[in-house]
Amino acid sequence: MTAPLEARELSLIREGNTVLDGVSFTVAAGEIFALLGGNGAGKSSTLLTFLGFLEPSGGQVLVNGISVDSDITTVRDAIAYLPEATSLYGHLNAYENLDYFLDLAGKSAGRVAIDAALDRVALPQEARTRRLQSYSKGMRQKTAIALALLRETPILLLDEPTSGLDPVAIDEFHDLVKALAEGGQTVLMVTHDVYGACQVADRVGLLRHGKLVGSFAAENGKRIDTETVHAAFAERETA
Amino acid sequence: MIRSITREARFLARDRGALFWLALAFLLSIVAVSFGIAEVREQRETIATLIEEDAADRANALAGHEDWGSAAYYAFHLTYAPPSQFAFAALGQRDSKSWKHRVRMLALEGQINEADTRNADFGLVGRFDFAFLAASVAPLLLILLLYDLRASERMMRRHDLLVATAGSKGSLWLPRALVRVAALALLLLLPLWLGAFVEGAGFGMTLQASAIVIGSLLIWWLIIELVGRIDASPSVLLTSLVGVWLALAIVIPAISKASIEAANPVPDGGEILLLQRETVNDAWDLPKVATMEPFVERHPEYGDHAEIGEMGFEWKWYYAFQQAGDQAAEPLVQQYRAARLQRDQDAALASLLSPPSLVERSFERLADTDTLSMIAYEDSVRAYHGELRAFYYPLMFPEEPFDRELLEALPAYSPKR
Repeated sequence: MTAPLEARELSLIREGNTVLDGVSFTVAAGEIFALLGGNGAGKSSTLLTFLGFLEPSGGQVLVNGISVDSDITTVRDAIAYLPEATSLYGHLNAYENLDYFLDLAGKSAGRVAIDAALDRVALPQEARTRRLQSYSKGMRQKTAIALALLRETPILLLDEPTSGLDPVAIDEFHDLVKALAEGGQTVLMVTHDVYGACQVADRVGLLRHGKLVGSFAAENGKRIDTETVHAAFAERETA
Repeated sequence: MIRSITREARFLARDRGALFWLALAFLLSIVAVSFGIAEVREQRETIATLIEEDAADRANALAGHEDWGSAAYYAFHLTYAPPSQFAFAALGQRDSKSWKHRVRMLALEGQINEADTRNADFGLVGRFDFAFLAASVAPLLLILLLYDLRASERMMRRHDLLVATAGSKGSLWLPRALVRVAALALLLLLPLWLGAFVEGAGFGMTLQASAIVIGSLLIWWLIIELVGRIDASPSVLLTSLVGVWLALAIVIPAISKASIEAANPVPDGGEILLLQRETVNDAWDLPKVATMEPFVERHPEYGDHAEIGEMGFEWKWYYAFQQAGDQAAEPLVQQYRAARLQRDQDAALASLLSPPSLVERSFERLADTDTLSMIAYEDSVRAYHGELRAFYYPLMFPEEPFDRELLEALPAYSPKR
């Protein structure tokens, strides 16, 4: 069966620096795969190659078996992307932002569906008609997550999705991601949050200086052991 | 595509910054069209008043005289170039060249080149008409609307989300820019269309003017797109685009003008006036035969009537030396006319390097306010003056008895000759 996401010997060199060096992994349907790494490890670059924003220097990235460089429109149609520090339009309210971005994706949703998505991300009702420039970072992130929900894409790419969220919001977000994966969505998230990655992911990959240097999987219905991953992460970061 | 355009139109409707520039464009267009209409109406009123007074003045002048020479001397004749129905959009050369004269049977070239005093304020900044708005101001407004479409999204870290959501760049940036260009074009053109309707300008002409405006905006859109591909901050892009605008709208036209003027020296109207007046004034002190000989060379049909006594005053001699003044100025007049035409041709070529100049020239051509139109008007005055001479000379030189009734057949000037 074709994996929704696959990196094959992915390499990326930018301005003479090796950003990714022979990275290979697959993410199965309904799986949550977290790429862990420190600053400059190549996490966000990996996501951007799946979106076609960065062209690999070597290897291949495939989305649903389609090479990203062969049909970028189809590839992007299959992906909902949540960038780090999401900045939706500040002069629009939540409804207007979602309407706009959904239309941009070639989709439409009625007010009921949008409210349902905003309920799922727990954005307060009273905030929904306010302009986003008055939102906290967490509220903006929730609105962006609602967009990802409404797009109903089979794949979610999340770049440091819990950065800036309060602990309660982080837990809610993890629950939401797990629910989406249980519904069949494939999730690739990149983060430097060891605890969060272990809480939510089915598998965690350790990325260091552009190389995938370790992998941990949840087994027997248990979450990945945070201590083990943390130790490996710390060891490799200081190595 | 229609869906994308509708989406971006709704988005634009909520973008206060863009709405401000669009509202300003609409306001400036209304102002430019209103100024233009007010100006051409004032010119038409002036002409109507002059036409009304012209006949009465001439009748008055002719009533008190009993010989052809006096009648011709004291009667003024109005000539004028009425503004076209599209002149409200491009006043062009009507600001700097005379479009009305009151000519007499005297030497003509001095009368043509004795221009009205220009308004120094307008001489400095030019008149704010629609052509100026479309040629020079609209590109700046377009720059302000488009310069940071991508760059501002990059700065706000929204670019990747937008493009990833849209699927392809084309389905986002093209409709977003297209909506802005179309909105600007529409808001600029609406007052023009209304003005054209009020002024009775033809549909074809209005269509051509609209095509010029849209074509100019498309050229500037292309320029903004090319500069926008530089991976730079919005402020750097804005500075670069304003630099391009300065080069195309100010620097290139200024350099072209200076080069063309240096390459095609033109005697000014004052030189023609001076030469013609000196010739006329000198004639008073010359033997009369020195005036009559060149006159007969030009008009051999009056050879039998060209003998003038050296003593005393005769109208025949007076008008002959008036004509001698024109004849003396002829080479200078031809040089002036040819050089102006050459400058105009060179300016047409140079305008290919400057979209604003090209737009202004195209508007002036449409509105009949360009150099060619003003030269055509001057030629029509010469032709009319020739008709006056052709009327009076056969009466004056053979010394036909004065007959007031014959004055009914005095040629009348009509524009568009």
